[in-house]
Amino acid sequence: MSPEQILLIPKIENGFVLDHIPAGSGVKILNLIRGQHELNDAVLSVGLHYTSRRLGRKDLIKIQCRELPQRFLQHLSLVVPGVTIKRVEKFAIAQKIVLEPPELVDNLLSCPNPGCITNHERGVTTCFHLVRREPMKFRCNHCERWFAMAELENRLKL
Amino acid sequence: MKRDLISIEDLSEKHLRDYLALGRRVDDMSPDACRQILAGKILGVLFYEPSTRTRLSFEAAMLRMGGQVIGFSEALNTSVAKGESLADTIHTVEQYCDAIVIRHPREGAARLAAEVSRVPVINAGDGANQHPTQTLLDLYTLQNLFGRVDGLRVALVGDLKYSRTVHSLFHALARFKDVRFRFVSPETLKMPEYVIEATEGSAVEVRETTSLEEAIAECDVVYMTRIQRERFPDPVEYEKVKDAYRLDRATLQHAPTHLKVMHPLPRVNEIATDVDSTHHAAYFPQAGYGMVMRQGILAHLLGAKI
Repeated sequence: MSPEQILLIPKIENGFVLDHIPAGSGVKILNLIRGQHELNDAVLSVGLHYTSRRLGRKDLIKIQCRELPQRFLQHLSLVVPGVTIKRVEKFAIAQKIVLEPPELVDNLLSCPNPGCITNHERGVTTCFHLVRREPMKFRCNHCERWFAMAELENRLKL
Repeated sequence: MKRDLISIEDLSEKHLRDYLALGRRVDDMSPDACRQILAGKILGVLFYEPSTRTRLSFEAAMLRMGGQVIGFSEALNTSVAKGESLADTIHTVEQYCDAIVIRHPREGAARLAAEVSRVPVINAGDGANQHPTQTLLDLYTLQNLFGRVDGLRVALVGDLKYSRTVHSLFHALARFKDVRFRFVSPETLKMPEYVIEATEGSAVEVRETTSLEEAIAECDVVYMTRIQRERFPDPVEYEKVKDAYRLDRATLQHAPTHLKVMHPLPRVNEIATDVDSTHHAAYFPQAGYGMVMRQGILAHLLGAKI
Protein backbone atom coordinates (compact mmCIF):
# COMPACT_ATOMS: atom_id res chain seq x y z
CA MET A 1 0.00 0.00 0.00
CA SER A 2 1.34 3.42 -0.88
CA PRO A 3 1.94 6.06 1.86
CA GLU A 4 -0.92 8.06 0.35
CA GLN A 5 -3.29 5.10 0.84
CA ILE A 6 -2.11 4.56 4.40
CA LEU A 7 -3.25 8.11 5.08
CA LEU A 8 -6.63 7.37 3.55
CA ILE A 9 -7.21 4.19 5.57
CA PRO A 10 -5.40 3.67 8.87
CA LYS A 11 -3.21 0.69 9.76
CA ILE A 12 -4.76 -1.92 12.04
CA GLU A 13 -3.02 -3.65 14.94
CA ASN A 14 -4.77 -7.03 14.60
CA GLY A 15 -7.23 -8.39 12.08
CA PHE A 16 -7.49 -8.93 8.34
CA VAL A 17 -6.94 -6.88 5.20
CA LEU A 18 -8.95 -7.84 2.12
CA ASP A 19 -6.91 -6.50 -0.78
CA HIS A 20 -7.04 -6.60 -4.58
CA ILE A 21 -10.82 -6.36 -4.59
CA PRO A 22 -11.91 -5.32 -8.11
CA ALA A 23 -13.37 -1.80 -7.92
CA GLY A 24 -17.10 -2.01 -7.24
CA SER A 25 -16.94 -5.43 -5.56
CA GLY A 26 -16.15 -3.94 -2.14
CA VAL A 27 -19.85 -3.26 -1.65
CA LYS A 28 -20.65 -6.92 -2.37
CA ILE A 29 -18.21 -7.93 0.35
CA LEU A 30 -19.75 -5.47 2.82
CA ASN A 31 -23.10 -7.17 2.17
CA LEU A 32 -21.50 -10.55 2.90
CA ILE A 33 -20.01 -9.20 6.14
CA ARG A 34 -23.43 -7.87 7.17
CA GLY A 35 -24.81 -11.42 6.80
CA GLN A 36 -22.27 -12.88 9.28
CA HIS A 37 -23.42 -12.46 12.89
CA GLU A 38 -19.88 -13.33 14.10
CA LEU A 39 -18.69 -10.10 12.46
CA ASN A 40 -21.44 -7.86 13.85
CA ASP A 41 -19.08 -6.19 16.33
CA ALA A 42 -16.01 -6.04 14.09
CA VAL A 43 -14.61 -2.59 13.29
CA LEU A 44 -14.39 -2.06 9.53
CA SER A 45 -12.33 0.37 7.47
CA VAL A 46 -13.34 0.65 3.84
CA GLY A 47 -11.48 2.16 0.93
CA LEU A 48 -13.09 2.38 -2.49
CA HIS A 49 -11.67 3.11 -5.92
CA TYR A 50 -7.97 3.25 -5.06
CA THR A 51 -5.49 3.22 -7.90
CA SER A 52 -3.87 -0.19 -8.35
CA ARG A 53 -0.99 -1.29 -10.56
CA ARG A 54 -2.56 -4.74 -11.07
CA LEU A 55 -6.25 -3.86 -11.34
CA GLY A 56 -6.27 -0.23 -12.42
CA ARG A 57 -8.76 0.54 -9.65
CA LYS A 58 -9.45 -1.52 -6.55
CA ASP A 59 -11.35 -1.58 -3.28
CA LEU A 60 -9.87 -2.44 0.12
CA ILE A 61 -11.46 -3.54 3.39
CA LYS A 62 -9.88 -3.95 6.83
CA ILE A 63 -11.67 -6.01 9.46
CA GLN A 64 -10.63 -5.91 13.11
CA CYS A 65 -11.56 -9.34 14.43
CA ARG A 66 -9.86 -12.52 15.71
CA GLU A 67 -11.06 -14.93 12.99
CA LEU A 68 -12.92 -14.79 9.69
CA PRO A 69 -15.85 -17.26 9.74
CA GLN A 70 -15.40 -20.24 7.41
CA ARG A 71 -18.75 -19.64 5.74
CA PHE A 72 -17.79 -16.01 5.02
CA LEU A 73 -14.57 -17.20 3.33
CA GLN A 74 -16.50 -19.74 1.26
CA HIS A 75 -18.98 -17.11 0.13
CA LEU A 76 -16.17 -14.65 -0.56
CA SER A 77 -14.29 -17.16 -2.73
CA LEU A 78 -17.45 -17.54 -4.78
CA VAL A 79 -18.55 -13.95 -5.14
CA VAL A 80 -15.16 -12.21 -5.48
CA PRO A 81 -12.50 -14.85 -6.21
CA GLY A 82 -8.93 -13.59 -6.48
CA VAL A 83 -9.11 -11.42 -3.36
CA THR A 84 -5.91 -11.36 -1.29
CA ILE A 85 -6.44 -11.91 2.44
CA LYS A 86 -3.68 -10.71 4.77
CA ARG A 87 -3.71 -11.61 8.46
CA VAL A 88 -2.29 -8.74 10.52
CA GLU A 89 -0.69 -9.29 13.93
CA LYS A 90 0.81 -6.35 15.82
CA PHE A 91 0.71 -4.12 12.73
CA ALA A 92 2.66 -6.66 10.62
CA ILE A 93 1.47 -9.07 7.96
CA ALA A 94 1.65 -12.57 9.50
CA GLN A 95 0.06 -14.54 6.65
CA LYS A 96 -1.16 -13.90 3.11
CA ILE A 97 -3.43 -16.03 0.90
CA VAL A 98 -5.17 -15.52 -2.44
CA LEU A 99 -8.72 -16.88 -2.56
CA GLU A 100 -9.28 -19.28 -5.47
CA PRO A 101 -12.78 -20.03 -6.81
CA PRO A 102 -14.02 -23.28 -5.20
CA GLU A 103 -14.22 -26.48 -7.29
CA LEU A 104 -17.20 -27.62 -5.25
CA VAL A 105 -19.85 -25.44 -3.61
CA ASP A 106 -21.51 -27.51 -0.93
CA ASN A 107 -24.85 -26.16 0.31
CA LEU A 108 -23.85 -22.48 0.06
CA LEU A 109 -26.27 -21.60 -2.75
CA SER A 110 -29.88 -22.18 -3.69
CA CYS A 111 -30.50 -23.05 -7.35
CA PRO A 112 -31.77 -20.22 -9.61
CA ASN A 113 -33.76 -22.75 -11.69
CA PRO A 114 -37.36 -22.59 -10.39
CA GLY A 115 -37.94 -26.11 -11.77
CA CYS A 116 -35.05 -27.63 -9.81
CA ILE A 117 -36.15 -30.18 -7.21
CA THR A 118 -33.93 -28.52 -4.59
CA ASN A 119 -36.36 -25.57 -4.56
CA HIS A 120 -39.34 -27.82 -3.82
CA GLU A 121 -38.16 -30.39 -1.26
CA ARG A 122 -37.63 -29.61 2.40
CA GLY A 123 -34.12 -29.84 3.82
CA VAL A 124 -32.29 -30.68 0.57
CA THR A 125 -28.56 -29.99 0.43
CA THR A 126 -27.50 -28.28 -2.80
CA CYS A 127 -24.21 -28.84 -4.58
CA PHE A 128 -22.60 -26.93 -7.48
CA HIS A 129 -19.46 -27.80 -9.42
CA LEU A 130 -17.13 -25.32 -11.08
CA VAL A 131 -17.29 -26.25 -14.78
CA ARG A 132 -15.55 -23.24 -16.33
CA ARG A 133 -13.08 -20.69 -14.96
CA GLU A 134 -13.24 -17.96 -17.59
CA PRO A 135 -15.96 -16.78 -17.48
CA MET A 136 -16.71 -18.57 -14.23
CA LYS A 137 -19.63 -21.00 -14.47
CA PHE A 138 -21.08 -23.50 -12.02
CA ARG A 139 -23.29 -26.53 -12.66
CA CYS A 140 -26.10 -27.57 -10.31
CA ASN A 141 -25.57 -31.19 -9.33
CA HIS A 142 -29.34 -31.83 -9.41
CA CYS A 143 -30.89 -30.03 -12.40
CA GLU A 144 -27.51 -29.96 -14.27
CA ARG A 145 -28.02 -26.38 -15.50
CA TRP A 146 -24.95 -24.16 -15.89
CA PHE A 147 -25.01 -20.74 -14.22
CA ALA A 148 -22.78 -17.70 -14.51
CA MET A 149 -21.65 -16.20 -11.22
CA ALA A 150 -23.87 -13.14 -11.79
CA GLU A 151 -26.92 -15.44 -11.64
CA LEU A 152 -25.76 -17.00 -8.36
CA GLU A 153 -24.73 -13.92 -6.39
CA ASN A 154 -28.19 -13.33 -4.98
CA ARG A 155 -28.71 -17.03 -4.26
CA LEU A 156 -26.28 -17.26 -1.34
CA LYS A 157 -27.56 -19.17 1.70
CA LEU A 158 -26.33 -16.76 4.35
CA MET B 1 -21.72 -50.39 -4.38
CA LYS B 2 -25.20 -49.35 -5.50
CA ARG B 3 -25.50 -48.48 -9.19
CA ASP B 4 -27.88 -45.83 -10.54
CA LEU B 5 -28.64 -44.44 -13.99
CA ILE B 6 -29.43 -40.75 -13.61
CA SER B 7 -27.77 -38.78 -16.40
CA ILE B 8 -25.96 -39.39 -19.68
CA GLU B 9 -23.42 -36.86 -18.36
CA ASP B 10 -22.31 -39.52 -15.84
CA LEU B 11 -21.42 -42.01 -18.59
CA SER B 12 -18.11 -42.17 -20.43
CA GLU B 13 -17.68 -43.41 -24.00
CA LYS B 14 -16.73 -46.82 -22.56
CA HIS B 15 -19.89 -46.97 -20.43
CA LEU B 16 -21.97 -46.19 -23.52
CA ARG B 17 -20.25 -48.89 -25.59
CA ASP B 18 -20.68 -51.39 -22.72
CA TYR B 19 -24.41 -50.68 -22.65
CA LEU B 20 -24.60 -51.28 -26.43
CA ALA B 21 -22.84 -54.63 -26.02
CA LEU B 22 -25.20 -55.50 -23.15
CA GLY B 23 -28.24 -54.78 -25.34
CA ARG B 24 -26.82 -57.11 -27.99
CA ARG B 25 -26.39 -59.93 -25.43
CA VAL B 26 -29.99 -59.49 -24.21
CA ASP B 27 -31.23 -59.60 -27.82
CA ASP B 28 -29.35 -62.87 -28.39
CA MET B 29 -30.85 -64.64 -25.37
CA SER B 30 -33.67 -67.17 -25.63
CA PRO B 31 -36.96 -66.11 -23.96
CA ASP B 32 -36.63 -69.00 -21.47
CA ALA B 33 -33.12 -68.02 -20.39
CA CYS B 34 -34.22 -64.41 -20.17
CA ARG B 35 -37.06 -65.25 -17.76
CA GLN B 36 -34.55 -66.48 -15.16
CA ILE B 37 -32.42 -63.33 -14.98
CA LEU B 38 -34.47 -61.23 -12.55
CA ALA B 39 -36.76 -63.94 -11.13
CA GLY B 40 -37.86 -62.96 -7.62
CA LYS B 41 -36.95 -59.29 -8.07
CA ILE B 42 -39.47 -56.45 -7.80
CA LEU B 43 -39.27 -53.14 -9.67
CA GLY B 44 -40.93 -50.01 -8.23
CA VAL B 45 -42.24 -47.80 -11.03
CA LEU B 46 -42.97 -44.26 -9.79
CA PHE B 47 -44.43 -42.15 -12.58
CA TYR B 48 -45.43 -38.67 -11.43
CA GLU B 49 -46.09 -37.71 -15.07
CA PRO B 50 -47.88 -39.46 -17.95
CA SER B 51 -45.96 -41.86 -20.15
CA THR B 52 -46.81 -44.66 -22.55
CA ARG B 53 -43.67 -46.13 -24.06
CA THR B 54 -41.24 -45.57 -21.23
CA ARG B 55 -43.43 -47.00 -18.47
CA LEU B 56 -44.78 -49.92 -20.50
CA SER B 57 -41.37 -50.85 -21.88
CA PHE B 58 -39.85 -50.84 -18.37
CA GLU B 59 -42.68 -53.01 -17.11
CA ALA B 60 -42.43 -55.35 -20.11
CA ALA B 61 -38.64 -55.52 -19.67
CA MET B 62 -39.01 -56.54 -16.02
CA LEU B 63 -41.73 -59.12 -16.74
CA ARG B 64 -39.76 -60.67 -19.61
CA MET B 65 -36.84 -61.20 -17.25
CA GLY B 66 -39.01 -62.99 -14.71
CA GLY B 67 -39.38 -60.06 -12.31
CA GLN B 68 -42.47 -58.27 -11.04
CA VAL B 69 -43.61 -54.66 -10.99
CA ILE B 70 -45.35 -52.40 -8.48
CA GLY B 71 -45.96 -48.66 -8.68
CA PHE B 72 -48.17 -45.83 -9.82
CA SER B 73 -48.65 -43.99 -13.09
CA GLU B 74 -49.89 -40.68 -11.71
CA ALA B 75 -49.33 -39.13 -8.30
CA LEU B 76 -52.94 -37.99 -7.64
CA ASN B 77 -54.05 -41.12 -5.78
CA THR B 78 -50.91 -41.46 -3.66
CA SER B 79 -49.52 -39.87 -0.49
CA VAL B 80 -47.80 -37.33 -2.74
CA ALA B 81 -51.18 -35.62 -3.10
CA LYS B 82 -51.23 -35.34 0.72
CA GLY B 83 -47.93 -33.47 0.65
CA GLU B 84 -45.45 -36.30 1.18
CA SER B 85 -41.91 -35.36 0.23
CA LEU B 86 -40.08 -37.20 -2.52
CA ALA B 87 -37.45 -38.38 -0.03
CA ASP B 88 -40.13 -39.94 2.21
CA THR B 89 -41.79 -41.65 -0.76
CA ILE B 90 -38.44 -43.14 -1.79
CA HIS B 91 -37.64 -44.27 1.78
CA THR B 92 -40.99 -46.06 1.83
CA VAL B 93 -40.92 -47.63 -1.63
CA GLU B 94 -37.37 -48.92 -1.21
CA GLN B 95 -38.71 -51.17 1.56
CA TYR B 96 -40.85 -53.00 -1.02
CA CYS B 97 -38.66 -53.35 -4.09
CA ASP B 98 -35.17 -54.04 -5.45
CA ALA B 99 -34.91 -51.09 -7.85
CA ILE B 100 -36.84 -47.89 -8.58
CA VAL B 101 -37.70 -46.25 -11.90
CA ILE B 102 -38.83 -42.65 -11.52
CA ARG B 103 -40.32 -40.02 -13.82
CA HIS B 104 -40.90 -36.65 -12.17
CA PRO B 105 -41.71 -33.13 -13.42
CA ARG B 106 -38.95 -31.50 -11.33
CA GLU B 107 -35.41 -31.34 -12.70
CA GLY B 108 -32.97 -33.22 -10.48
CA ALA B 109 -35.68 -35.37 -8.85
CA ALA B 110 -34.05 -38.64 -9.93
CA ARG B 111 -30.65 -37.47 -8.61
CA LEU B 112 -32.23 -36.64 -5.27
CA ALA B 113 -34.02 -40.02 -5.23
CA ALA B 114 -30.69 -41.78 -5.87
CA GLU B 115 -29.05 -39.83 -3.04
CA VAL B 116 -31.57 -41.04 -0.48
CA SER B 117 -32.30 -44.54 -1.83
CA ARG B 118 -30.43 -47.69 -0.83
CA VAL B 119 -31.70 -49.51 -3.98
CA PRO B 120 -30.70 -48.60 -7.56
CA VAL B 121 -32.59 -45.67 -9.12
CA ILE B 122 -33.21 -45.21 -12.84
CA ASN B 123 -34.18 -41.82 -14.24
CA ALA B 124 -37.10 -42.15 -16.66
CA GLY B 125 -37.24 -38.37 -17.21
CA ASP B 126 -36.81 -35.44 -14.81
CA GLY B 127 -38.58 -32.35 -16.17
CA ALA B 128 -36.67 -30.80 -19.06
CA ASN B 129 -33.36 -32.24 -17.86
CA GLN B 130 -32.47 -35.87 -18.61
CA HIS B 131 -33.95 -39.05 -20.06
CA PRO B 132 -30.89 -41.32 -20.20
CA THR B 133 -32.64 -44.60 -21.07
CA GLN B 134 -34.12 -42.92 -24.15
CA THR B 135 -30.61 -41.92 -25.20
CA LEU B 136 -29.25 -45.42 -24.67
CA LEU B 137 -32.08 -46.95 -26.72
CA ASP B 138 -31.47 -44.38 -29.46
CA LEU B 139 -27.79 -45.38 -29.56
CA TYR B 140 -28.75 -49.05 -29.58
CA THR B 141 -31.14 -48.41 -32.47
CA LEU B 142 -28.36 -46.70 -34.46
CA GLN B 143 -26.02 -49.61 -33.69
CA ASN B 144 -28.62 -52.06 -35.01
CA LEU B 145 -29.55 -50.02 -38.09
CA PHE B 146 -25.98 -49.28 -39.23
CA GLY B 147 -23.80 -51.78 -37.36
CA ARG B 148 -21.94 -48.82 -35.81
CA VAL B 149 -22.38 -45.42 -34.22
CA ASP B 150 -18.96 -43.99 -35.11
CA GLY B 151 -18.81 -41.91 -38.27
CA LEU B 152 -22.57 -41.42 -38.68
CA ARG B 153 -24.03 -38.19 -40.05
CA VAL B 154 -27.00 -37.31 -37.89
CA ALA B 155 -29.62 -34.61 -38.48
CA LEU B 156 -31.47 -33.48 -35.37
CA VAL B 157 -34.74 -31.86 -36.50
CA GLY B 158 -37.46 -29.73 -34.93
CA ASP B 159 -37.48 -28.52 -31.35
CA LEU B 160 -33.80 -28.38 -30.50
CA LYS B 161 -34.36 -25.79 -27.78
CA TYR B 162 -36.63 -27.58 -25.33
CA SER B 163 -36.17 -31.28 -26.23
CA ARG B 164 -34.23 -33.04 -23.47
CA THR B 165 -34.08 -36.13 -25.74
CA VAL B 166 -32.16 -34.22 -28.36
CA HIS B 167 -29.79 -32.60 -25.84
CA SER B 168 -28.87 -35.94 -24.26
CA LEU B 169 -28.53 -37.69 -27.61
CA PHE B 170 -26.26 -34.94 -28.91
CA HIS B 171 -24.01 -35.18 -25.83
CA ALA B 172 -23.87 -38.96 -26.04
CA LEU B 173 -23.13 -39.05 -29.79
CA ALA B 174 -20.42 -36.40 -29.34
CA ARG B 175 -18.45 -38.99 -27.35
CA PHE B 176 -18.28 -41.37 -30.33
CA LYS B 177 -15.77 -40.97 -33.14
CA ASP B 178 -16.34 -38.67 -36.13
CA VAL B 179 -20.09 -38.24 -35.68
CA ARG B 180 -21.18 -35.19 -37.67
CA PHE B 181 -24.33 -33.19 -36.92
CA ARG B 182 -26.84 -31.11 -38.83
CA PHE B 183 -29.13 -29.07 -36.60
CA VAL B 184 -32.40 -28.33 -38.40
CA SER B 185 -34.78 -26.02 -36.59
CA PRO B 186 -36.73 -22.78 -36.81
CA GLU B 187 -34.74 -19.78 -35.61
CA THR B 188 -36.72 -19.64 -32.35
CA LEU B 189 -36.06 -23.30 -31.49
CA LYS B 190 -32.31 -23.44 -32.14
CA MET B 191 -30.00 -25.63 -30.07
CA PRO B 192 -29.11 -23.57 -26.96
CA GLU B 193 -25.53 -22.39 -26.65
CA TYR B 194 -25.15 -24.00 -23.20
CA VAL B 195 -25.94 -27.42 -24.69
CA ILE B 196 -23.27 -27.00 -27.36
CA GLU B 197 -20.65 -25.62 -24.99
CA ALA B 198 -21.04 -28.65 -22.70
CA THR B 199 -19.38 -30.77 -25.43
CA GLU B 200 -16.17 -28.72 -25.18
CA GLY B 201 -13.21 -31.00 -25.58
CA SER B 202 -14.96 -33.27 -28.09
CA ALA B 203 -14.12 -32.82 -31.77
CA VAL B 204 -17.70 -32.24 -32.84
CA GLU B 205 -18.66 -31.00 -36.31
CA VAL B 206 -21.95 -29.12 -36.22
CA ARG B 207 -23.72 -27.28 -39.02
CA GLU B 208 -26.97 -25.45 -38.52
CA THR B 209 -29.57 -25.12 -41.25
CA THR B 210 -33.27 -24.45 -41.62
CA SER B 211 -33.57 -26.78 -44.64
CA LEU B 212 -34.82 -30.30 -43.93
CA GLU B 213 -34.24 -31.28 -47.59
CA GLU B 214 -30.56 -30.37 -47.33
CA ALA B 215 -30.18 -32.53 -44.20
CA ILE B 216 -31.96 -35.47 -45.82
CA ALA B 217 -29.58 -35.38 -48.76
CA GLU B 218 -26.47 -35.25 -46.58
CA CYS B 219 -27.21 -37.51 -43.60
CA ASP B 220 -27.53 -41.17 -42.62
CA VAL B 221 -30.17 -40.51 -39.97
CA VAL B 222 -32.88 -37.93 -39.57
CA TYR B 223 -33.95 -37.73 -35.93
CA MET B 224 -37.32 -35.97 -35.84
CA THR B 225 -38.82 -34.43 -32.71
CA ARG B 226 -42.26 -33.27 -31.74
CA ILE B 227 -42.61 -29.54 -31.17
CA GLN B 228 -43.94 -29.69 -27.63
CA ARG B 229 -46.91 -27.39 -27.03
CA GLU B 230 -46.53 -27.71 -23.23
CA ARG B 231 -43.03 -26.16 -23.30
CA PHE B 232 -44.16 -22.86 -24.89
CA PRO B 233 -44.95 -20.01 -22.50
CA ASP B 234 -46.71 -18.19 -25.37
CA PRO B 235 -49.29 -20.17 -27.45
CA VAL B 236 -48.90 -17.71 -30.34
CA GLU B 237 -45.23 -18.65 -30.63
CA TYR B 238 -46.23 -22.34 -30.69
CA GLU B 239 -48.70 -21.75 -33.52
CA LYS B 240 -45.96 -20.08 -35.59
CA VAL B 241 -43.64 -23.09 -35.52
CA LYS B 242 -45.79 -26.13 -34.78
CA ASP B 243 -45.73 -27.42 -38.36
CA ALA B 244 -42.31 -26.06 -39.33
CA TYR B 245 -40.99 -29.48 -40.36
CA ARG B 246 -43.19 -32.16 -41.80
CA LEU B 247 -41.69 -35.28 -43.27
CA ASP B 248 -43.76 -37.24 -45.78
CA ARG B 249 -43.19 -39.78 -48.53
CA ALA B 250 -42.74 -37.02 -51.13
CA THR B 251 -40.00 -35.31 -49.06
CA LEU B 252 -38.14 -38.62 -48.94
CA GLN B 253 -38.37 -39.23 -52.69
CA HIS B 254 -34.77 -38.18 -53.32
CA ALA B 255 -33.36 -39.43 -50.02
CA PRO B 256 -30.35 -41.76 -50.07
CA THR B 257 -31.49 -45.40 -49.94
CA HIS B 258 -29.81 -46.04 -46.60
CA LEU B 259 -31.39 -43.01 -44.84
CA LYS B 260 -33.30 -43.90 -41.67
CA VAL B 261 -35.89 -41.78 -39.87
CA MET B 262 -36.05 -41.97 -36.07
CA HIS B 263 -38.41 -40.32 -33.58
CA PRO B 264 -38.73 -40.72 -29.80
CA LEU B 265 -42.56 -40.73 -30.21
CA PRO B 266 -45.31 -39.72 -29.70
CA ARG B 267 -45.54 -37.92 -33.04
CA VAL B 268 -48.16 -35.39 -34.01
CA ASN B 269 -47.81 -33.95 -37.52
CA GLU B 270 -44.05 -34.06 -38.03
CA ILE B 271 -44.01 -37.47 -39.73
CA ALA B 272 -46.89 -38.30 -42.08
CA THR B 273 -48.29 -41.82 -41.76
CA ASP B 274 -47.38 -42.50 -45.41
CA VAL B 275 -43.74 -42.69 -44.29
CA ASP B 276 -44.51 -45.67 -42.02
CA SER B 277 -44.49 -48.19 -44.85
CA THR B 278 -41.23 -46.95 -46.40
CA HIS B 279 -37.92 -48.66 -45.64
CA HIS B 280 -36.73 -45.36 -44.13
CA ALA B 281 -39.09 -45.58 -41.13
CA ALA B 282 -37.24 -46.81 -38.05
CA TYR B 283 -39.31 -45.30 -35.23
CA PHE B 284 -41.42 -48.33 -34.33
CA PRO B 285 -38.44 -50.72 -34.26
CA GLN B 286 -36.75 -47.98 -32.17
CA ALA B 287 -39.56 -48.29 -29.58
CA GLY B 288 -38.98 -52.06 -29.60
CA TYR B 289 -35.24 -51.65 -29.01
CA GLY B 290 -36.28 -49.56 -26.01
CA MET B 291 -37.54 -52.61 -24.21
CA VAL B 292 -34.38 -54.60 -24.98
CA MET B 293 -32.14 -51.78 -23.80
CA ARG B 294 -34.17 -51.40 -20.60
CA GLN B 295 -33.85 -55.15 -19.97
CA GLY B 296 -30.10 -54.70 -20.18
CA ILE B 297 -30.15 -51.64 -17.90
CA LEU B 298 -32.26 -53.39 -15.24
CA ALA B 299 -30.08 -56.50 -15.31
CA HIS B 300 -26.91 -54.43 -15.04
CA LEU B 301 -28.09 -52.22 -12.18
CA LEU B 302 -29.47 -55.21 -10.26
CA GLY B 303 -26.15 -57.00 -10.61
CA ALA B 304 -27.40 -59.88 -12.81
CA LYS B 305 -24.88 -61.54 -15.12
CA ILE B 306 -25.72 -61.68 -18.82
